[in-house]
Amino acid sequence: MPEPVLAPPVLTLAGVAKSFALTAALADVSLELMPGEIHALVGENGAGKSTLIKIMTGVHQPDEGTIRLAGTAVTITDTQAAQRLGIAAIYQEPMVFPDLDVAENIFISHRDQGLLMDWRRLHEAASSQIARLGVTLDVRRAASGLTLAEQQTVEIARAISLDVKVLIMDEPTASLSAHEVARLMAIARTLKDQGVAVLYITHRLEEVFELADRVTVLRDGRHISTRPITEVTPDALVRDMVGRAVDHFVPKAAAGPHGELVLRVRGLAREGVFTGVGFDLHAGEVLCFSGLVGSRRTDIGLALFGIQPATTGTIELDGRAVLIESPEAAMRHGIAYVSEDRRKLGLAMALPITANISLASLRRLLGKLGLIDRRAELAMAEKHKERLNIRTHSVALEVGKLSGGNQQKVMLAKWLETEPRLLIFDEPTRGIDVGAKTEVHAIINDLAAQGVAIIVISSDLPEVMALADRVLVMREGRQMGIFAIEDATPEGIMSLATGERPADAA
Amino acid sequence: MTGWLQSVHPQTLRVTALALVLALVILFFGSQIDNYYTARMFNRISTSVAIILLIAIGQALVVITRNIDLSVGSIVGFTAYLVGDLLVAQPDLHPLVVVAAAMALGTALGAVNGLLVAYGRVPAIIVTLGTLALYRTLLVEYSDARSITTANLPKWVVELPQATLFSIGNLDIRVTFAIALGVALVVHLALTRLRAARRLYAVGSNPDAAAIAGINAERVVFTAFLLSGALAGLAGFVFLARFGNITVVAGLGFELKSVAAVVVGGVNIFGGSGTVIGVVLGTTLVDVIDNSLTRWALVSEFWRDALLGMLILIAVAADTLMNRYLDRLRRRRHMSELSAGTAPLPRETG
Repeated sequence: MPEPVLAPPVLTLAGVAKSFALTAALADVSLELMPGEIHALVGENGAGKSTLIKIMTGVHQPDEGTIRLAGTAVTITDTQAAQRLGIAAIYQEPMVFPDLDVAENIFISHRDQGLLMDWRRLHEAASSQIARLGVTLDVRRAASGLTLAEQQTVEIARAISLDVKVLIMDEPTASLSAHEVARLMAIARTLKDQGVAVLYITHRLEEVFELADRVTVLRDGRHISTRPITEVTPDALVRDMVGRAVDHFVPKAAAGPHGELVLRVRGLAREGVFTGVGFDLHAGEVLCFSGLVGSRRTDIGLALFGIQPATTGTIELDGRAVLIESPEAAMRHGIAYVSEDRRKLGLAMALPITANISLASLRRLLGKLGLIDRRAELAMAEKHKERLNIRTHSVALEVGKLSGGNQQKVMLAKWLETEPRLLIFDEPTRGIDVGAKTEVHAIINDLAAQGVAIIVISSDLPEVMALADRVLVMREGRQMGIFAIEDATPEGIMSLATGERPADAA
Repeated sequence: MTGWLQSVHPQTLRVTALALVLALVILFFGSQIDNYYTARMFNRISTSVAIILLIAIGQALVVITRNIDLSVGSIVGFTAYLVGDLLVAQPDLHPLVVVAAAMALGTALGAVNGLLVAYGRVPAIIVTLGTLALYRTLLVEYSDARSITTANLPKWVVELPQATLFSIGNLDIRVTFAIALGVALVVHLALTRLRAARRLYAVGSNPDAAAIAGINAERVVFTAFLLSGALAGLAGFVFLARFGNITVVAGLGFELKSVAAVVVGGVNIFGGSGTVIGVVLGTTLVDVIDNSLTRWALVSEFWRDALLGMLILIAVAADTLMNRYLDRLRRRRHMSELSAGTAPLPRETG
């Protein structure tokens, strides 16, 4: 009998495409997973990794393309179906039942176990599953008392108890300690030896080179490359990830001297979130916070605006140390925060444009008897409609009915009305179309020219290159470096952000 | 260090603390009220506990799934009156048929709640607040201002509350109390042993994870409301037997008492955890306080509801504080592991 040279792939994706509304999230992506391999999947934020995972686990259905499991075409209708087919995923935030013990968490999906609980057998079976992973964990403990890493272990044990053939690990190490990462990687290798195909998504390139057999790069929803790890270098990988035509990056012309020092931050930290952040910011200057998802860029913004105050460190405004423990305090100091999350932190979707714009500066609109002067409110809204080019037939329209770009402008108008001296933008152009994006960029540059100190938090490298005077790179809650835009390259930023280059190389 | 605290299940901590509080409360009233430790007091509290316990167990099943049933008081009144009416019309019905009728009626009323909450996706607090008023008004309409009176009820019903299963010394274990304890035992065994019942916890603990694990959350929540209705129906029958004279206000305020018993009994109001042992202790505590206050000279009995309210607040606050503390311990452990093996801080720039 002829011996097969290569085991057939356990999972094959061919020509998979997926669009949401008008944006193509994935186009013609193919991927083969072999039994007993660890396959790394890397790419910038928005490269399509999440969409790909969601298609493999049945959360989304592909618009085009086929999925084959051990050679047979399958349709993965939902997560249940995925599990039945032997495809499971674990995420950065584990999906455990905090009130149930470890053993019950592991076997919760098992159906064929009879009417009654046999706790002893359950605990024995759970212990042996945990042992299979080469770790020790008391299976009688409630999941609520476990660390994140331990909860992930429980999830992995649950997956392998279901005879998983493909295990997707989506940035499993993002919030783990070095010690815990080593343990997780050992688990991944154990699974590989047991013949499981592990698809390992990560932003940490050193993990890719330490762990993976092959690596696939996605960029802008497309498959760029799949190569054995022995045939790639970190540089080549970063090039594949960033890879846009280089002329796409037009660094901002070196700006003239900026105004006075507005903000001085030293040793800023929030326990368990970020640490060691320090920078200066002058009037008229744009500082961009760059970094990958989970790098805690946004948390610095939230700390400066008092939503999640810093626990240590100093913030000085105009040379005076200030304590910012609430958004009210931040606003009093002339700080404004244009949130990424328009729905949650930015806008009252059911209210008209007028009310949204006036929301943060109602005090100035108080007329006789302390009531809101509707005419002044209307004038305020009209002024911004002109200035920011908000496209609507009426400022009385509900904000929820505007396009994303116009919602962004309404939110900006609200904060401009508070006449901030420091304006923090969090992902100012996420989810808005190209035209509106250019407009928002022009507005930001215009504000800087007027002497407003500006922080832009962005995961979009071209945006960073276009807007920033200086770039601060974050990685896993640590400031990796800060440099003038003339000295920055997209590759340089990316390799700092992924940890391919250590902090002191900046 | 404090590591042992994390190895103890939070539920065990709750029940232990509760048992301690109950003991202290009994000791306190014993020192304040003459002739407190008597058989009469025990019988009084045990017959009263019998009713609340049935309702509270049903309430607990609902609360474990992250919901609440505010209509239980109205269901008790509704079944007590209608079953009373049935007995007046047909006094020769077999006792088991009567009990079955009461539970069936309660189940039907619970089914309305369950349908709206589980499948209609209306928040439980709104649905059951609505049916609380609705069932009560239906009862007022139906009763036409008549009352059920003891005189018209069959003899076995009127004598049921005094019926004693057995006595320990001069403490009588009444049949109704035994029924309630029996139900508690059955539900306790189900919640700890029955695989299907574990889904109540799963759904309440993390609904998203439950969905991924393939648990039909709608059916689980619907079932919880059915059971709550059934037990409130049974409680309605016991209520009828105990008081005999039933007017349209029967069972008024039982939603507050049952929620108090459940929350004080350590059932997490945000779902996911709770034990029958806790509910039995919580019910007993609430009822001991309720019954003792009427005999305590220092405090007017009109304070009973206020005290009940306060008890709920204290229980929830204590629980929140405990969870927050445990959470902080866990985070600290995580942080110390994080800082144990990571790169040095980057240099300061700026």
